[in-house]
Amino acid sequence: MRTRGNRELWLAFTAIVMISLLYGFMVTTLGGIPPAREFFGHSIGVIGFVLMLMTETLYSIRKRSRAARWGRMSSWLDFHIFTGLVGPYLVLLHSSWKFNGLAGIVMLLTVIIVISGFVGRYIYTAVPRSIDGVEVDSDVLIHQISHVENELEGLLAGSPAKTKAVLQRTIASVGDEKDSVSTLFGRTFSDLRFRIEWQRVKSQVSPAVSMQLDRLKVLVQRKRTMERQLSSLAAARRMMALWHTIHIPIGMVLFTAAFIHIVAAVYYATLLR
Amino acid sequence: MKAPRSGCISTSGVIITLIALLIIGAIGAARGGVLFNPGALNSQAGTQPVGGVVSHAETGGRCSACHTAVWQRDKMSDRCLICHQALVNDPQGFHKVMVAQSWSWDCHNCHTEHNGAQASLTISDLSRFPHDASGYSLIAHQKNPAGVGFTCSDCHGSQIGELDIAICIECHQRINRLYMDDHLVAFGRECLACHDGLDTYGKGFDHNQQAFPLQGEHASVICSQCHVGARKIIDLQNTAVACSACHGNDDPHQARFGQDCGQCHTPGGWEEAAFDHSLADFQLTGTHQSVACDSCHLNAVFQGTPQDCNSCHMADDDHQGRFGQDCAQCHSPDGWEGAAFDHSLATFQLTGAHQTTACDSCHLNGIFQGTPQECSACHADTAFHQGLFGNTCAECHNTNSWLPALFELSHTFPINHGESELNTCRTCHPDSLAVYTCYTCHEHSPDRIESKHREEGISSFQDCTLCHPTGHEEEGGGRGGDDD
Repeated sequence: MRTRGNRELWLAFTAIVMISLLYGFMVTTLGGIPPAREFFGHSIGVIGFVLMLMTETLYSIRKRSRAARWGRMSSWLDFHIFTGLVGPYLVLLHSSWKFNGLAGIVMLLTVIIVISGFVGRYIYTAVPRSIDGVEVDSDVLIHQISHVENELEGLLAGSPAKTKAVLQRTIASVGDEKDSVSTLFGRTFSDLRFRIEWQRVKSQVSPAVSMQLDRLKVLVQRKRTMERQLSSLAAARRMMALWHTIHIPIGMVLFTAAFIHIVAAVYYATLLR
Repeated sequence: MKAPRSGCISTSGVIITLIALLIIGAIGAARGGVLFNPGALNSQAGTQPVGGVVSHAETGGRCSACHTAVWQRDKMSDRCLICHQALVNDPQGFHKVMVAQSWSWDCHNCHTEHNGAQASLTISDLSRFPHDASGYSLIAHQKNPAGVGFTCSDCHGSQIGELDIAICIECHQRINRLYMDDHLVAFGRECLACHDGLDTYGKGFDHNQQAFPLQGEHASVICSQCHVGARKIIDLQNTAVACSACHGNDDPHQARFGQDCGQCHTPGGWEEAAFDHSLADFQLTGTHQSVACDSCHLNAVFQGTPQDCNSCHMADDDHQGRFGQDCAQCHSPDGWEGAAFDHSLATFQLTGAHQTTACDSCHLNGIFQGTPQECSACHADTAFHQGLFGNTCAECHNTNSWLPALFELSHTFPINHGESELNTCRTCHPDSLAVYTCYTCHEHSPDRIESKHREEGISSFQDCTLCHPTGHEEEGGGRGGDDD
């Protein structure tokens, strides 16, 4: 099972910063907001839409394809997230900060779909998956939890009595995850509380005990995550299904409206002939 | 593990998309292209209706009033001009220039829409505007007198397509009021009729590169003195270059020498005229060459100047007109001296020694006419004559010389006495014709004559001719032949 990182977010953030710098340069050069109808504004709109189109299609095609299994699903998801952030940002800049008519609706739907994407990713990461992004069943999860508990026991057994008492007290103080939707959506805060409490305990023990706590922390975190995933697995799957129900129609309406916007732009103002 | 089940299409998505399409279609059918309107159209009323509306907003969402489809041949600018044709009617107009360059310049390069009911229809980025194409370059208007770069509104105010010439005038009056006031009076207020912004007819104008270079005094003449009433470049270019065009009124010759002042004068000044007098009827020779023009051409009147000597020399005529008015009969232009009077034309012919006699010997005090012709007028009678001949000098003398004189009057005593051809008056009259003596020739010494006459008993023998009227001894009763 794989624990997700945030590399795609950092890449997207970096791209957005660079795009912002370019946009700022153009604002300075042109002496104002680049209009959507002119070359720069039009170009970022086209690129942004292509990225959004890739966001909408490539990951889904890869998931649904049984024949063409190019690359890992997680990599496709990273690309999906990257394009899903950078593309809408370019479209936002393309709007030249005017949100009238259908173009405004498209922009609104874009913002909604991006926010929805963040929510979806949050729910998605609550579901345990293999390194290929395939969901892990609860049986496998239970087995892995048991394995981590054994490791913890072994680690505690080898510790001096005083240290063992501290470690046990620390594990107890951070508590366990509960089976609820709030656990699903509140895991970020739960993890934050865990790190703060763990750090507090660590600061009160000797350096030797502190080193053992560092090794113990990894196991405890894995155990907590898997227990939380196990306890919220059903809820996560329900929320994921619900999310799909909302997210996909929004995306379809978004792209339908975007296509109409493009057709209208071609009809009314193809490069403003 | 479960296989991925999500995709980009779902049943609910299709249904909602169809609903969205219906809504979009319904709005399109009901409101036209309003759904694609990126912003409200300008509703500020123009000064007069154009194309049936006073503002773009009044087109009522009729997108095709301005927009064209990709497959249509005309473009947005063409549709702008359907209503705004008047903007390009003026060949030199701001918008005409823009339309003429429509290969790269369309209306929307400067104008915009859909920015709101009160938003400006003109975008301010006119830095690419080819101002030269309007007929007026901004090369000479990069910075104002304060050293600050010009902006469009500095000259055009709020209407970029219009130019109130008063703005030009006011600005340039602030730079040089006196010059501008004079310039306005001279050339009027239509600055653009001559000025193109390149300083072609401004600071960079070099009159010396033109057909009429400004030299000498012309260089300091103000423009309007020659370009009178010029209002356009063509007026300036058509300014007559003939001298008389400007100097006709102040021509002291009153056009008597024609209109080409340059034949005698240079732009350096009216003085130092270089008139080739040899071209005139009256040739300047001798001392006439150094005489000031106005000595003859009084009051600067050159044509018709009389050519007779008297016209100029009457006042200084020493002869006081007595010789008439043709001085050249005697004098030459080389000088009054050396006069060559042909005295043969006078009643008194100069012959003999008279030919070499100075004029004033006879013509005293420069008086020539009326000079008496009698010899005695010039020649006083000699005492030798003792007044015996009066004024009849010529009866004995000629003009070659006084001597020898030819006496042909009656003379009782033979002049050739003694058979001599050499006798002269003074032979017998050595001192005066009033007396004579015989003792100058013969050996008539008084003592011997007395002795001989006493011998003959003649006591009165002083008056020889009394007894010897022809000089013969016998006439007196003597022996004769031995009186020597």
